[in-house]
Amino acid sequence: MIGVSQFNGLLAKRQVLRTLVERDLRVRYAGSVLGYVWTVLDPLLMALVYFIVFTLIFQARQTGNQPYFLHLVTGLFLWQWFASNMSETSRALLSESRLVRSANLPRELWVVRVVLAKGIEFILTLPVIIAFTAYYLITGETKLHWTLVMIPVALVLTFLLSVGIGMILAPITVLVTDMARVVRIALRLGFYATPVLYSADMAPGTLQTVLALNPMSGILELFRSGFFRGEMNLLSVASACVLTVILLLIGAFVFKRLEPAVLKEI
Amino acid sequence: MAKPVIEVRDLGIEFYRTRRRRMSLREMVFKGQSGATTETFWALRDISFDVQRGEAVGLVGGNGSGKSTLLKMIAGVMLPDSGYARVRGGVAPLIELTGGFLGELTARENVYLAAGLHGLTKRQIDERYDEIVDFAGPQVQAGMDMPFRHFSSGMQVRIAFALITTLDQPVVLVDEVLAVGDRTFREKCYTRMDSMLSGGKTLFLVSHSEPDLRRFSERGLYLRSGELKGDGPIGEVIAQYNADADADAAS
Repeated sequence: MIGVSQFNGLLAKRQVLRTLVERDLRVRYAGSVLGYVWTVLDPLLMALVYFIVFTLIFQARQTGNQPYFLHLVTGLFLWQWFASNMSETSRALLSESRLVRSANLPRELWVVRVVLAKGIEFILTLPVIIAFTAYYLITGETKLHWTLVMIPVALVLTFLLSVGIGMILAPITVLVTDMARVVRIALRLGFYATPVLYSADMAPGTLQTVLALNPMSGILELFRSGFFRGEMNLLSVASACVLTVILLLIGAFVFKRLEPAVLKEI
Repeated sequence: MAKPVIEVRDLGIEFYRTRRRRMSLREMVFKGQSGATTETFWALRDISFDVQRGEAVGLVGGNGSGKSTLLKMIAGVMLPDSGYARVRGGVAPLIELTGGFLGELTARENVYLAAGLHGLTKRQIDERYDEIVDFAGPQVQAGMDMPFRHFSSGMQVRIAFALITTLDQPVVLVDEVLAVGDRTFREKCYTRMDSMLSGGKTLFLVSHSEPDLRRFSERGLYLRSGELKGDGPIGEVIAQYNADADADAAS
């Protein structure tokens, strides 16, 4: 069964995975808080910019969920994790080519390790989201809902989706030189094709169906629901779950298939 | 007879003639071709042999005969296109020695990281840490908290050699590393390899140095343009290799 043996191989090497993730974090936060500041500052400044553009300049009739700033912060933080997963996993094998060449480890490990390290960075930014939520709770602009329990589900889905797509991107980037550029463009387009700035229910009917085909759309629904109205678009959530599983299987297949070629080229 | 430690069957691997098969999406889309050459050759073909526990095997052959590729497939860092190479038990690969080391981390962090990659737990590394550093020599010992890239290349190899040989895996693969290091360190390496051999380890050695081959291995394998031409006592295999080399030089 495809994927199962790969999963078992990874499980057997979880100690190594831990070592690698710890090293990533140590390098990133080595001796300074600057690493952390960057992870937080980037999405926060972007949130501020979009907030000013859409509410003060465009004075949009309708933005996303209210309060809009919280809508932006929740969306941008999660999107940042996903986007850095995409750009980093695509380089996962290339950038560690020396290690890949010298250690006999399940090669999927290099993809999972990137997503995991980025995931921990994301978890560390959650206090910022909590702080803004607390502020809007105190000012009475929002109420929390029971659907907050869906947040872990959203995170697990983001993780699995990233690993799935990462297993497709990483080997292809080794074999095709300009793949990294394609990923960058796709990410920029993907940002607008994902309800980060807006919310999906603002779109006209047909477009909503198209948006539902974007797995990140449903994941954002799950992630945000508890902060705002407590509702979510079940169609896009279901589609996100199905697409995640499909992409994970395709990823496992593609990775296995390209692995021998990758090891020759790297 | 006990199951062989290394079992290689019908092993083959195919490479692109240009070695790098880099493709470009732009070319694929606009020119309708992948920009890759499709000409291939078999770097190794139909290789089969068994190595029993405790055997010491020397791999002989000219440049480009596929020795390193074979070693990499036994180490599991390259995958064959046909057949298989199966190893029972772990492998300590002395190939691309400093591959697992990162310049920006300190030597100490590198030892923990690289040993971790080869499957040692933190406690096991703690136990063996002093042994590794001792073996690498006093100059290295003084600078364990220095960034790894500040070490000379010889020193880097010393640490790596000390680390890999301390892994205590049943199979040891050696690719030309004995050539590096100064004389004192080479002597230490020889002693270390002797003790590994007498400790019942299986040794698989690639070298161009006849004395090294004769010293460590009893059995020889001879590769010539990707094919296994000889398998027997090391003396005979070396003689066969030399005869071929002389014939090539004469023609």
